[in-house]
Amino acid sequence: MRIILYIGRRLLFIVPQLLGIVLVSFLLVKSIPGDPAVLMLGPTATPDAIASLHRKLGLDHSLPVQFWIYLKNLAHGDLGTSWQTTRPVLEDLIQRFPATLELVSLGLLLAVLIGVPLGLASAFNERGWLAGIANFYGLGAGSLPDFWLALVLIFIFYTTLQWVPAPLGRIDLTIVPPPPVTGVLTVDALLAGDWQAFRSAAGHLVLPALTLGLINAGPILKMTQSSMEKMLQSDFSRYEVLCGMPRRLVVRHALRNALPSVVTIISVLYGFLIGGAVLVEIVFSWGGAGQYAVQGVLNSDFYPVLGFVLFSAIFSLFVYLVVDLIYFAIDPRISH
Amino acid sequence: MPKILDFLKLVVRIAQVRPRFLLGYAIVLVAILAGLMAPLFSAYSPVTADSSHFLQAPSRAHWFGTDAVGMDIFTRTIYAPRIDLTIAVTGTLLSALVGSFIGAFVGYFSAGRGVRVHLSYAVMRAADVLQAFPVFVFAIALVASFGQSIETVVLAIAFVNAPIYLRLMRAQVMAIREMRYVEASLVAGLSDFKTILRHIIPNAMTPVLAQLSINVGWAILLTAGLSFVGAGVRAPTPEWGSMIAMGFQNMVTGQWWPSVFPGLALAVTVFGFSLVGLSIEVFADPIKRRALVRDLEIARRRAPPAAMSGPEGVLTAGEAP
Repeated sequence: MRIILYIGRRLLFIVPQLLGIVLVSFLLVKSIPGDPAVLMLGPTATPDAIASLHRKLGLDHSLPVQFWIYLKNLAHGDLGTSWQTTRPVLEDLIQRFPATLELVSLGLLLAVLIGVPLGLASAFNERGWLAGIANFYGLGAGSLPDFWLALVLIFIFYTTLQWVPAPLGRIDLTIVPPPPVTGVLTVDALLAGDWQAFRSAAGHLVLPALTLGLINAGPILKMTQSSMEKMLQSDFSRYEVLCGMPRRLVVRHALRNALPSVVTIISVLYGFLIGGAVLVEIVFSWGGAGQYAVQGVLNSDFYPVLGFVLFSAIFSLFVYLVVDLIYFAIDPRISH
Repeated sequence: MPKILDFLKLVVRIAQVRPRFLLGYAIVLVAILAGLMAPLFSAYSPVTADSSHFLQAPSRAHWFGTDAVGMDIFTRTIYAPRIDLTIAVTGTLLSALVGSFIGAFVGYFSAGRGVRVHLSYAVMRAADVLQAFPVFVFAIALVASFGQSIETVVLAIAFVNAPIYLRLMRAQVMAIREMRYVEASLVAGLSDFKTILRHIIPNAMTPVLAQLSINVGWAILLTAGLSFVGAGVRAPTPEWGSMIAMGFQNMVTGQWWPSVFPGLALAVTVFGFSLVGLSIEVFADPIKRRALVRDLEIARRRAPPAAMSGPEGVLTAGEAP
């Protein structure tokens, strides 16, 4: 019951926040120079044609009226139309968002698999060689530009070793993609029982996910290490050691107390990566939502940018909500 | 003069127990010097194409090779800090100045009554909204709407980072405003504005300083990322991100040098700035500083007996094999 009340209160605050986000991004996007009507019709367009297209797109209204129209359409689930793809933005995003989610989720999973064990191992033995490596890695990983690391990995594993397919898109062009169910290619291929498509999709996923994993393992490692060290040095751990409790139990209790901060950093990274993986998407021609938004900004295509900002904001808010629910589960102090 | 000497001795001793701090400062210094004195180190021009020598592998004539239009990559790599560091440092300083200034007032007025409380609440919610944006797309949109130039990249970096300083400063000031010396200053007749400026901000600066250096590293990464997608500094201006972008296709076809060298320079520089940030954090945090002082003492006692005589001894002990 308490949880339902809590969620209800949180949802109540989300609405004004989303409205603020839409307003700011609307103003920002509208101030980008470039007239979509001119770009759509090309350089030979007559002023009459441009004016009539302005009327059709609703660009002849004042800015507040345009914003009001956008909000009204939004309420009906209409996010506008992209002039580049000439398709409704909602359809485009539903197609592209799963691609980004697939990449980001797998990348983050790799980051957790690298970061958490290394962080734990170095926390148990502060002066050992493993801690030395972990310290260096934690500092160094955040210094690498992701788009550069992606290129280096392409050079090693595609150009030189030929272990992975060419970094162009999510699946080989010669392979028919599986019928879309979830939009996540690897999952769809498995659902369709198409082994060949799955192999190709997974092969294309390896390098971009590895890039994100290697870089984002850094902050996870640092957080695991520092919160675990803090817990092992805290009064309750020392008391347990003094009482002669087995080391295994002391570690387990410390780990349980260090868990919330590790979950926090993972969730922050998840929210950040939805938009933060853009450069990796571009390097691998991934065709994800972030790349779609960047194309939109660079070509005065407003609605894709607005739609992307809205989608990723909702996604981050959703992730933060789920994380708060996880806190309920792992931290008894909050639920009582 | 002796004071400077003592300071230098302290620096050497700290470098002995924390070699990575020294590494950080060395990297940052090298990057700055490379940018300043680039013409001394290279005979080539950083922006002149030479179509007869394109895509040459690293050699004695071209240490880092040449790119697709025949520009010398070593030259461009050492000229790049001029652009990258200038943008990153200016953007970060600007965001720290504006962000922490607003943050100080928001923190000071966040308790109590009246319009100012509502105003500071509104500022915090605005910061929430700004931070909910995907950083990179936000930065590109900012650059696009103000027109692409070096100044707008600086502005975008300042804008994106300002909420961080706003929050840092606000948290600090909320703790400090309860202090006695703040009450004393108000009782003595200073206005809120003067109290904040003279007594609160100077006492709340430490975490901001530690954040600055780390943030310069991020700002370099953001600048390079913007240039990589073509929304930042335009080619042929020597800039690490746009150099990596120029080498993109070559990398896939097997010519690794146009992208690898500028990327390495970029990564090492960012690494240096985060090490410097780490050192400032240690100097500023009382607990971490105590650990450093402890290690200094251990190092002093471990030194051979001859070194016990004084700081000069420590110095010579460090130089012995």
